Amino acid sequence: MQYIFFALITGSTLALAAVGFALVRQTEGFLNIAHGQFMLLGAFVAHTLATTYGLNLGLAIAITVPLIGLIGLATAWIVFFPLRDKGLLAQFFSSVGVAFIVYGIVSALWSGRAIKVFPMTADFSVAMPGFSATAIELGIVIGAWLAVLSLHLFLAHTRVGTSIRAISGNAELARARGINVRLAVGSVWFVGTALAGLSGILIGLIGGVSIELGWHYILIILAVAVLGGLRTLYGVLIGGLLVGAVIELSTLVVPSKYGVLIAFGLIVVTLLLKPEGIVSVSKRKEASA
Amino acid sequence: MSGNLVFLAGLVTLAMIYATYTMILNFEAGWGGLWDLGPAGLIAVGAYTFAIFTAPQEGIVFAPQQSLVVGWLASIIVTAAVAYIIGKPALRLRGEYFLITTFAFSVMAIELITTESWLTAGAGGFRTITRPFDSYIGSREYNFLLCGLSIVTAFVVYLLLRRLGHSPFGRALRATRENEAAATSVGRNIPEMRLKAFVFAGALFGATAPLYIFYVRSLYPHMFGATLTFTLWTAMVIGGIGNLKGAFIGALLLIGATEATQFLQVSVEYANILAAARPILIGVALLVVIRFRPHGLFPETLAFKHPRSRALASRAQEQRTVAE
Repeated sequence: MQYIFFALITGSTLALAAVGFALVRQTEGFLNIAHGQFMLLGAFVAHTLATTYGLNLGLAIAITVPLIGLIGLATAWIVFFPLRDKGLLAQFFSSVGVAFIVYGIVSALWSGRAIKVFPMTADFSVAMPGFSATAIELGIVIGAWLAVLSLHLFLAHTRVGTSIRAISGNAELARARGINVRLAVGSVWFVGTALAGLSGILIGLIGGVSIELGWHYILIILAVAVLGGLRTLYGVLIGGLLVGAVIELSTLVVPSKYGVLIAFGLIVVTLLLKPEGIVSVSKRKEASA
Repeated sequence: MSGNLVFLAGLVTLAMIYATYTMILNFEAGWGGLWDLGPAGLIAVGAYTFAIFTAPQEGIVFAPQQSLVVGWLASIIVTAAVAYIIGKPALRLRGEYFLITTFAFSVMAIELITTESWLTAGAGGFRTITRPFDSYIGSREYNFLLCGLSIVTAFVVYLLLRRLGHSPFGRALRATRENEAAATSVGRNIPEMRLKAFVFAGALFGATAPLYIFYVRSLYPHMFGATLTFTLWTAMVIGGIGNLKGAFIGALLLIGATEATQFLQVSVEYANILAAARPILIGVALLVVIRFRPHGLFPETLAFKHPRSRALASRAQEQRTVAE
């Protein structure tokens, strides 16, 4: 029971991190490696607001998340929008470049490799025989799923959300039908990056933030996104829960150091067995352009 | 003054090592079109095989302390074998799926090296590396020997790959990248060619991996993180994907620029910022080159000098631009 709860916590944060990644992947078509570094940035900004400026944790999160979203939007404006016609490889490696820059800036501003732990005290905890959960752990799970739910409502029931879905379905057609592509893609970057920031904070709440958080999590996010299928957002949520479950529950069977290894074994097996992983010739030509 | 000379020798050594890896990457990724994000993993396999066979490490089950030649051959064979094991299933995948798979294999290799400390000394790593001629010359002079060795290695790899690039195999390899259907229609066995290229690149990574640990003089799993792979790709993108000379020069420029930051003398409080300058520099270089010179400093079309092939290549380039 306790392990299932741990799996739920890990899975929820992973799903949240990966859903923002998948959103950008769907509309822009490339794997945004910088996503992990925006998680790192979010965690560090929120940590500074909560410690140096002594803000309430909730307030710190409320300030940080839109701020990271705006930074993501600005980055997309400067770096990714002009590259729209240059092909996936150019966009992919630009995102690697952005990842390096954000990583460098974060390590310059927040010197030291020490793990930063958020100041917090659990107001209450739920305890039952064989199971216990603190308010913070519950808050992480609830917060993650509230964010996912609002993303769903945004995509399903707003005008911008509808155009986002139209663009990821068929960008040419969407443009021809007069959909405001700029607004839609801009909000994808804002929302996607803000979700990265939020997931970074939630992950930081569990185990503290280290400077390598971004590089570490982008790998797991790739695993989640592949497992869930790169084309569906809701598959990614299941992928997140699954990878979380594998990482946490595998500790029952094998030493915990093998958790990440098993997660990656899972990607490889999925990719090799799942026919959707094998892209047709036309897709490959698009990809190598 | 002589301290600076030693530093310079070290800088050249590192740059040559990176240039060698970038050229190998150019062979499989630039010419072969295989988006391999796993070089770091293969280099790690080569380096660890060499260290396990040769280093006087205690506390691991298998430390035969063989001669360096045996270690070198083992490193080539094992790395090529690992490349075969990865390549055989993964090459069925295309584009970014191949990229994710090789990346995943690379991460798994590093994870395995970290966890399986009975064989690899784990996170503690190898602190002594057996190096050739180490007992004959002083450690200061050794820097120059290593520098010479790395230059020779880089040029041997360059000549080898240039020869291969102009050979029928190299031309066919580029053809498979440009147009898979056309290459198949003239009777090329594409899966087999790709596997050959991938395994050959693996063998080269294995053959050159020991040089890297001669330079670092120790061996830890974290030396082979994602940063290594991305640095190689950055060097190749800067130089021009598909241009061997470009890969070479791109690596020299990138390593020269990032390591030169070590020359600057700054006070302690700025040391952190300086350390952070390295990833920022790599990132900015990558963004600027992709944005303003998408084919790199030395585009591939310049690489193949034969007038007719050059005309064909530039036409292909035009068509590609139009298609985009």
